[in-house]
Amino acid sequence: MEFHDIMHGTGLVFIFLGIVTIIVAGIGLFRLPDLYLRASAVGTSAGLGVASIVIGALLMDFSWLNLVKAAVAVIAQLLTSAVGSMAIARSGYLNNSAPAEITHTDDLLKTRRDRVTDPEAESST
Amino acid sequence: MSTTSSLASWPWRIASFLFWYAKAFVMANVYVTLDILRSKKRMKTSPAIIAVPAASESDTEWTLISCFITLTPGTLTLSISREHKILYVHGMFVESRESLVGEIQEMEDRMLRALRRSPGDLSRPLRVPDVVPVDEPPEDEVR
Repeated sequence: MEFHDIMHGTGLVFIFLGIVTIIVAGIGLFRLPDLYLRASAVGTSAGLGVASIVIGALLMDFSWLNLVKAAVAVIAQLLTSAVGSMAIARSGYLNNSAPAEITHTDDLLKTRRDRVTDPEAESST
Repeated sequence: MSTTSSLASWPWRIASFLFWYAKAFVMANVYVTLDILRSKKRMKTSPAIIAVPAASESDTEWTLISCFITLTPGTLTLSISREHKILYVHGMFVESRESLVGEIQEMEDRMLRALRRSPGDLSRPLRVPDVVPVDEPPEDEVR
């Protein structure tokens, strides 16, 4: 019975960690200045939050079948959140969403045909 | 390195990469979380988009390295150029070009050693080649 209680408690800790991670990611959405910072900080933090909740649920209700399901869920969640963030950031860049002004180096700008420097002129379309 | 000894160290290399990545992942999460919760004036974000020379060869390696970079909070792969062997990485805390390049290349070194049976050639071009738009873009490129 003792072992069961420990597993239950650890599961709760993981679920709360996941909730905190998602809440912080939500705060980050408001506080970070541009698309790329939001995508890099928030997209994957939210992925980690969901993964952590899945692991917590697994610990609270452990069986070998659930272990397999949780492993698949965590891997798929992390992969899709990574690919999703990349797709969003890349399409944002192709659509002339300029990085925030504190961005001090931008090597990708050199590869652009139009070399956008003024985001106001482009954002009207 | 002979074939047998590199085969014997393969599981070890995979395990060491996974542990190293898990540690880096958690550290980056803590770092980003702390920075988000700081007050606006003390935020340490200094983002930059850096061209990082890469040593990956196959489709698998390119896909995995860009996924691993994006999965680490605070860094994000914006684009890759396989022709020039460049990863365009957006970093959240970039003090200098060298620091981010070193970080990414260490991750790539470890990943390639874990992925390949024998690590082989991990050399990269020292200087980033200048990538400029060509006049006639190939059909399969977006821009």
